[in-house]
Amino acid sequence: MYNLVMKDLKLGVNPWFFALPLILGGLMLIPGWLYFLVPLYFCFITVPNMFGGFKSQNDLMFSTMMPVTKTDIVKSRVAVIVILELMHLVVAMIFSIFTFLLYPHLTYIFFAPHMGFWGLCFIMLALFNLIFISMYYRTAYKYGAATTASTAAAILFAGAAQWAGIQYPWMNDIFYGSGLDNTALQLSILIAGILIFVALTLIAYRIAVKRFLKVEIL
Amino acid sequence: MLALELKNLNKKYPHFEIKDVSFQLEQGYIMGFIGVNGAGKTTTIKSILNMIQADSGEVSILGKNMAEHEIELKQEIGCAFGDIDFYTRSKLKTLTDITKRFYKNWNDDTYYSYLRRFKLDENKKIAELSTGMKVKYSLTLALSHGAKLLILDEPTSGLDPVSRDDLLDIFQELIVGGEISILFSTHITSDLERCADYITFIEQGQIVASSEKNEFKESYRLLSGSEAELSEVKEHLISYKINSFGFTGLIHAKDIHPSSTLRATTPSLDDIMIYFAKKEGVHV
Repeated sequence: MYNLVMKDLKLGVNPWFFALPLILGGLMLIPGWLYFLVPLYFCFITVPNMFGGFKSQNDLMFSTMMPVTKTDIVKSRVAVIVILELMHLVVAMIFSIFTFLLYPHLTYIFFAPHMGFWGLCFIMLALFNLIFISMYYRTAYKYGAATTASTAAAILFAGAAQWAGIQYPWMNDIFYGSGLDNTALQLSILIAGILIFVALTLIAYRIAVKRFLKVEIL
Repeated sequence: MLALELKNLNKKYPHFEIKDVSFQLEQGYIMGFIGVNGAGKTTTIKSILNMIQADSGEVSILGKNMAEHEIELKQEIGCAFGDIDFYTRSKLKTLTDITKRFYKNWNDDTYYSYLRRFKLDENKKIAELSTGMKVKYSLTLALSHGAKLLILDEPTSGLDPVSRDDLLDIFQELIVGGEISILFSTHITSDLERCADYITFIEQGQIVASSEKNEFKESYRLLSGSEAELSEVKEHLISYKINSFGFTGLIHAKDIHPSSTLRATTPSLDDIMIYFAKKEGVHV
């Protein structure tokens, strides 16, 4: 499994996609932007390009010829997705510290990048993983429909969360009002987000393994 | 010991099936796996490598069941698919560095000696290699991890006669120690006339015969005679062609009547393949 991850990091994934989180993190410095877009760029850019690369380079056949189990092939690929997602989120979080320093008195229309917001981002990517990974491993090479469905779900979640944050007073209070000063509340949303991310990614992995075992490598 | 044993392998697709495929390859020999395009060679090979799940049947490699010991056995197998490229924009060096991590018996000395032997430049990209060089690179990787069984799907297809000849020499050298066995599928039967010890012939998903090469060829006869003589043997012929001189047809050697006066010769592997392919088709 470790060797497969190294194979993806060194061979399968273009180094540009490891630089991308650093560059996209800079978008956090745009004052009052719709920050959900920052992690969403992972779904828009990295995923289709990366999986297009795997397909055109016959990665599936290459991996299958190595002395590894099919389960490990899925596990390592999920690990690579998670590594990249975490890079995107962690870099964006670091940049968000500077956002607050640069614009201390900004009035936010969209969510400000507090811990609770990052919790929502984790849930968004959790939904993305659940749909993308499980759909992709029906064939292990067709990534178009899986990317479209999972990205649409992530956008819908972000849109719904943002809408609820503006529309519902109790949500508004958590993400715009007095809830922002409640560190325990913010931290618990972040932790809940991370837990949901872990849980849904694990479920996606299990479904993917089940489906991939039936995939024929043609 | 048997390097490879297939027992009653079955796999059904909507429009094609491989049926009861069984054969054995003794360690230290070369087996040619022949059949026309679409006969089931690649399907069989992919079933051996567990890339395709067979509906039933058993594959054993070096005495161990493939389904149960897949990871362990893949350490002992080297494979090359003639028409598939991986990461063609990467340098050989990069691909090797990745590949060697997977194999516990990887030997750098062996690797470099084969690179020199095959005149492969590590700094070249896969895309820059000729078809023959790509096969040689696959072989280098396989041999460097100490593969005992080489499974090669159409390794010589697309190669020029000189490269093919070179590759066949290499195959023969490899088996000299008696440890390495090679199964290679091809439709270029002249390659097998030169280097194969055993022939397994697949036709429409079923094994027609699997035996020692000369024994295989000797079990058939190519009969020729006048059109009038055709009626005598017609029902025993596997198939036949009619030309201006009369007919030529393939027959099982055992079906020839001792008193027959027809001219009988030993067919080439090509002849056997062609006449079997015609069996299901229309006689011309």
